[in-house]
Amino acid sequence: MSGSALAHVIVSGLATGCIYGLVALSLVIVYNATRTVNFAQGEMLMVSAFVAWSAQHTAGLPLLAALACGVAAGGLLALLVERVIIRRALSATHWDVLIITLGLSLVLRAAAGVVWTNEELPFPALFSNRPIALGPVRVAPVSLGVIGASLVLMLALVALFRATRFGRAMRAVAQNQTAARLMGISVERVYAGAWVLAAVVGAVAGVLIAPVTFLSTKMGLIAINGFTAAVLGGFGSMPGAVVGGMLLGVIENLAPLYLPTGIRYSVPFLVMIAILLARPRGLFGRVERRKV
Amino acid sequence: MRRTALGLAAVAALGWPLVAPKYLVFLGTLVAVNAIVAIGLNLLSGYTNQLSFGHAGFLAIGAYVAALLTLHVPALPVPLTLLVAGLATALVGLALGIPCLRLEGLYLAMATLAFGFVVTEAITNLDWLTRGNDGLRVPLARLGPWALATDAARYYLAVAVAAAMILAALNVAATRTGRAFLAIRTSEIAAQASGINAAAYKTIAFVLSAFYTGVAGGLFAFVVGFLSPDAFDVFLSVDFLVMIILGGLGSVLGSVAGAAIVTVLNDSLAGFQAFRPLIFGAIMIICMLFMPGGLAAMARRKS
Repeated sequence: MSGSALAHVIVSGLATGCIYGLVALSLVIVYNATRTVNFAQGEMLMVSAFVAWSAQHTAGLPLLAALACGVAAGGLLALLVERVIIRRALSATHWDVLIITLGLSLVLRAAAGVVWTNEELPFPALFSNRPIALGPVRVAPVSLGVIGASLVLMLALVALFRATRFGRAMRAVAQNQTAARLMGISVERVYAGAWVLAAVVGAVAGVLIAPVTFLSTKMGLIAINGFTAAVLGGFGSMPGAVVGGMLLGVIENLAPLYLPTGIRYSVPFLVMIAILLARPRGLFGRVERRKV
Repeated sequence: MRRTALGLAAVAALGWPLVAPKYLVFLGTLVAVNAIVAIGLNLLSGYTNQLSFGHAGFLAIGAYVAALLTLHVPALPVPLTLLVAGLATALVGLALGIPCLRLEGLYLAMATLAFGFVVTEAITNLDWLTRGNDGLRVPLARLGPWALATDAARYYLAVAVAAAMILAALNVAATRTGRAFLAIRTSEIAAQASGINAAAYKTIAFVLSAFYTGVAGGLFAFVVGFLSPDAFDVFLSVDFLVMIILGGLGSVLGSVAGAAIVTVLNDSLAGFQAFRPLIFGAIMIICMLFMPGGLAAMARRKS
């Protein structure tokens, strides 16, 4: 295989990897604030993409406005879910919240099938699919667009967490909830904020990947790849989530070149098993102390 | 009171094929099979707090072992086939359980999810053995000279096995092992501090759970008569979770009740496939929010 073709494969792997990184980030944001994982993250992202589709097709909005609509709807849905369901279970164990979000993912998927459709729909793309020459290397603009948009969002997240009051509050809660509460931070507000922020990040990932994978009620399964990415990077680490996502994207794109092609869909699972067995805390993760 | 209820349940279970139409006998058989899986899953997830999303994988292993065994060794009586299916699955459970000792909660859930996926992929790709996606026709179960050809015969087989396994699980739950399981669920560190070998008991729970599910898988193969890998997807694992959440985590009889309700519900919703996950998801959320401990805890509060 020639070098430029290899570069093409790697760049498109990085693009998918950015999406996985964003999904991983959204899982990690909720995890860091609340110490639970939202199994419905993938389905919430799917709903956002469907809303964006409706906003363009039914309401006739221009594409960018429609995408913004989808992202906003994702944030609203997260706020609703957090307020109505998750907050009631705050005193419950993490196990319970895990099961609740699992139930939620079933409900959202079925509801989307009833409201919209169980078929696959084409999703309007912001970027073209036709490869362009970039020096000696040919890449698809969609790959570059996805990578660019993801990087912008990631930088915005860095700024949010470092420079804003809300970001600092989130970091404080992630570090020590009791201490944060004693410093006058409203932990409940941080929980809600984390859910909304995660949903927004997830929704952006959703509308970026939908043109490539098609829009369907099954697209929530991307959360599994996001989870693998987060585990790969060490669950809880945000840079880890991004690096893990990119690694997974590239591995997934390279694997079919060297292994039987059927293996592509097993890649995230095999990577996940390997990393969990060999290094359960991931590449960047820390060992957490447990208390009784 | 308890004895009368038990006697009535036994009479109802034994008399069912005499009065019910054929299809409902089949449904009763499925309830028995699912009850065994639910107990197995509850021993792991309910009793020791190890969440599994991969029990459809264990069920598949049990089912294929039983089916292939009957194909290649037709003379084997069915109790032995089921035993081998259970033991083979238990061995896989051991192989999965030991590395999984390092994982907990979420990580364990994801590892088991991946396990379930890898099992169905393996069945699909080992098509020289399993016929992959074409599916495998399961021969009739044999008990000495008799072939279990009718629904009623298979029903009695499943109910007999289920009854034995329910009794065994009740016994396990009432002994030192069961108490150790529950102690681990409440707090693993506190249990260890009280001298419970958490690693050993967690592994035992994994093996026991896999054994139960493997036996149920063997029964499932004979009851359904046709196996293909897509029947064992992750949604089946989620169905099993719904059973024990509804029935009550950490309760053997609750598992049976949950299995019965979910199986019947599943069947009556067959015409409304689109709404099925909606209802099951809602059951999960409502159980967790408003009736923790499921039906078993409700029954306990009543009495």
